[in-house]
Amino acid sequence: MASAELRDTRRRIKSVQSTMKITRAMELIAASRIPRATARVEASKPYSAKLVDVIRNVAVASGGASHMLLEQRPVERAGVLVVASDRGLAGAYASTIIREAERRIVDLEHAGTPTRLLVVGKKAQTYFQYRKYHIERSFLGVTDTPGYGDARAIAATLMGAYATGTVDSVDAFYTRFQSALTQIPVQFQLLPIAPPAAEGEVPTTVDYSYEPSPAQILDRLLPRYVESTVFSMLLEASASEHSARRRAMKAATENAEELIRVLTRIANRARQAEITTEISEIVGGAEALAQQKS
Amino acid sequence: MGFRVDIVAPEAVVWSGEAEFVVARTTEGEIGILAGHEPLMAALATGVVVVESGNEKVTIGTHGGFLQVLNNQVTLLTDRAEISEGDRADALRVAEQLRAQEEASEDDSES
Repeated sequence: MASAELRDTRRRIKSVQSTMKITRAMELIAASRIPRATARVEASKPYSAKLVDVIRNVAVASGGASHMLLEQRPVERAGVLVVASDRGLAGAYASTIIREAERRIVDLEHAGTPTRLLVVGKKAQTYFQYRKYHIERSFLGVTDTPGYGDARAIAATLMGAYATGTVDSVDAFYTRFQSALTQIPVQFQLLPIAPPAAEGEVPTTVDYSYEPSPAQILDRLLPRYVESTVFSMLLEASASEHSARRRAMKAATENAEELIRVLTRIANRARQAEITTEISEIVGGAEALAQQKS
Repeated sequence: MGFRVDIVAPEAVVWSGEAEFVVARTTEGEIGILAGHEPLMAALATGVVVVESGNEKVTIGTHGGFLQVLNNQVTLLTDRAEISEGDRADALRVAEQLRAQEEASEDDSES
């Protein structure tokens, strides 16, 4: 009969093994999604680059046209947009960006500026709900494979809130995908649109002919810019999330392997101790019998 | 003489290359663009874009977006675009489909 210690250890090994199966599967799934997610990040770049180009040209050509989305106004209520994840098991991915955002919210509230919070991802929603923050709007189920439609819905909500004066600015928090090993939490001002930084030379004035008027064109261009910015934010965040999950699950799998090694050693020792006891009992018994005979 | 054409959608570059002639549909009506066209900034409507380069003729259904002509470069920033395999009528169907998709997704986000 196996001793209690041996039985317990064997049970633990089995349980760790089945956990390891799950973490390994999750690692592989996350790993298979990284290339797709980064390919989508790359594929979206030409559009946003060209859009910035066009906006810069139009802005210069129309002689510093003003638009509601460009206008800096005194910030009475600040909007904060956080892009986290819907699912956990991605290491510190969600908590890192949530912490950054929370720090900003606390700073703003300290300075006497009430904040309106918009969250993307269930993890962020639960976190802020639990801490009794008022969440203006949550977007769930978009972080895994974000589509342009999702970006559009989020951008529309933000611009709507900005237009009605619910918020006077929007700060966005997301995780930028640097490489499979490095993802950086980033904060930037989404609204009002910061005038596209003049990278390189300032474009010379272009005498466009417009169809329809420049104001109408700008009116269509700027919302597209917000959408495309939100979209690339979501894509970067998604790539970061998959990388973070892969890394976390790889670490978990390795820890499980190590744990199994240790537990197997303990189990072997227990089994050996048991055998030794049995042998010494048998030998002792045989000895006793031999003595009785003589 | 040709010029460079880039047709991009938010999620991908749809078509890119050299062309001699481009027809597109703006909110104001159909326009044709040849090399050396004056700088133009236009809003695109739902419709068909035809790109002619050499013997090749590409028809693309598009929905929304902008058209920029600058320095002999044509850039179409479409909201949605899809290359159509068939003729003009087919491309128009593709464009209408894209519009329907978008309207469907807008209904989603409102609900």
